[in-house]
Amino acid sequence: MAATEPLPLYQAIEAAVRFEEVTVERGGISIVDRVTATVPKGSCTAIIGPNGAGKTTLLLALLGEIGYEGSIRMGGNGRALRIGYVPQRLAFDRGMPLTVSEFMAMGFQKKPLWFGIGAALHRRSLEILTLVKAEHLAARQVGALSGGELQRVLLALALRQEPELLVLDEPSAGVDFRGELIFCELLDNLRRTRGFTQLMVSHDLATVTHHATHVICLNHKVAAEGPPRLTLTSDNLTAIFGMHMGLVNSRSMPGNQGVCSAPCCQEPPNA
Amino acid sequence: MPDLSPLYALLAQLLPFECLQARFMQQALLGLLLLAPMAAAMGLMVVNFRMAFFADAISHSAFAGVALGLLFSVDPNWTMPAFGLLVGLGIMILQRHSNLSSDTVIGVFFSAMVAFGLAIVSRDRSLARDLQRFLYGDILTISDGQIVCLLVLFLALMTFQAIGYNHLLYIGLNPVLAQAHRVRVALHQYIFAGLLALIVMFAVQAVGVLLVTAMLIVPAAAARNVARSAGAMFWWAMLFSLTSAVMGLLISAQDWARTATGATIILVACCWFFLSLVVASLRREQTV
Repeated sequence: MAATEPLPLYQAIEAAVRFEEVTVERGGISIVDRVTATVPKGSCTAIIGPNGAGKTTLLLALLGEIGYEGSIRMGGNGRALRIGYVPQRLAFDRGMPLTVSEFMAMGFQKKPLWFGIGAALHRRSLEILTLVKAEHLAARQVGALSGGELQRVLLALALRQEPELLVLDEPSAGVDFRGELIFCELLDNLRRTRGFTQLMVSHDLATVTHHATHVICLNHKVAAEGPPRLTLTSDNLTAIFGMHMGLVNSRSMPGNQGVCSAPCCQEPPNA
Repeated sequence: MPDLSPLYALLAQLLPFECLQARFMQQALLGLLLLAPMAAAMGLMVVNFRMAFFADAISHSAFAGVALGLLFSVDPNWTMPAFGLLVGLGIMILQRHSNLSSDTVIGVFFSAMVAFGLAIVSRDRSLARDLQRFLYGDILTISDGQIVCLLVLFLALMTFQAIGYNHLLYIGLNPVLAQAHRVRVALHQYIFAGLLALIVMFAVQAVGVLLVTAMLIVPAAAARNVARSAGAMFWWAMLFSLTSAVMGLLISAQDWARTATGATIILVACCWFFLSLVVASLRREQTV
């Protein structure tokens, strides 16, 4: 049914990020090929696609980590947005003696950490850690955290930036199912109360259908773009994932487990 | 040139050892007291950035630096740090702007430096003896002029560490994350590489090309074993580095030892490292 409806025009919507003809080449191969897409302001936008489709590459181009052709414009007036970034898997040296409190403070504190952490900064870190239910980790060493714990601390660090644009690379990787639900509900609540734009990369359709308000289907090129109900059609998914995925019911829960309490699920389907 | 005599007198009073009454020993002690904290602070970041090989390459460029000085009859005391600085920044630029792995980039620089130095020295047999000094180092011949240079470098480097310590840790942890969260990664990396090159060149004169990386790495590695936070790690590294330097100098001057000062300092530091390993493993047993 959805495939026959024309996709709405997104140029009219205020954009947080606008990709225009973005191309990234590595060794003569286009990993990202003339991508033109929009991340609407205040949305939860998901970039989905199979492994190796260029999802993370597009994020890295946005973060300015790799060179690209084309243009990436942020915000209405071209001023770079404050970004909070949650990497997929933080590659770091686990032997480093660094506590979670120090990790949260080191981007903000002027005085060197040898003189301890300022009381006000420490309180602020604890507030944010409490938000992601990780306050008990404050005194632990970052290198001793489990995958799920680290992901929470990284989210806390990203939120600590008071971001206008929260960028998440595979937010559910390394988080168990229960943790993942908390993660997504928490993000939904925060996005609404603080009014930031959320951009996440995912190959997990269950997460996307549940939480995204805007979807960019990517397989080197943009295969489809729009609200989940219009983009996550059987035809589109078969086209980008290269196999028959079946119709994704955008209101179903992964594995039929539990009921999602996130605000997005309480809204009427056509909101 | 400022008069450093009052400083020497003070040192002799603070550490009333018989061997420290000689002026050259007081100079060596003062030089080490300046060099050790710098090496410790930079060493922490060298370990953090996994840049031990980088430090090694710069120390080996000392050869080429001295050779250049001898070739153009300029004082090697100037050509050596200047050339080291050039090599350090050069490696950093290549590393940031090429797809080669940093090991490969440094490996190429490293070989080029050593080969160049050896090629020039091999032209003149009388130069070869001069270069021995750089292989093994000699802190006992440090001059007042060099100590003043060290003092200036000390102030610059400690200011940089005080301002940049937190951000350097951030970059060492993960540069992409740091960049996304508005840390100026490139600026920090270039200043760090430049200062590291200078400190390595001074350390070469103290402990020699062969042991200079050890002076940076060993106290830092020991501090990582013992510390429970990044703040404490800094003070532990200072403690290990300073005690190694002072004890090494004193031991090397004893009649029963009469060892090379640089090597003795590194040996003491290595003892600290093994002790720190024991402490770390005992602590692990307690928590299990």
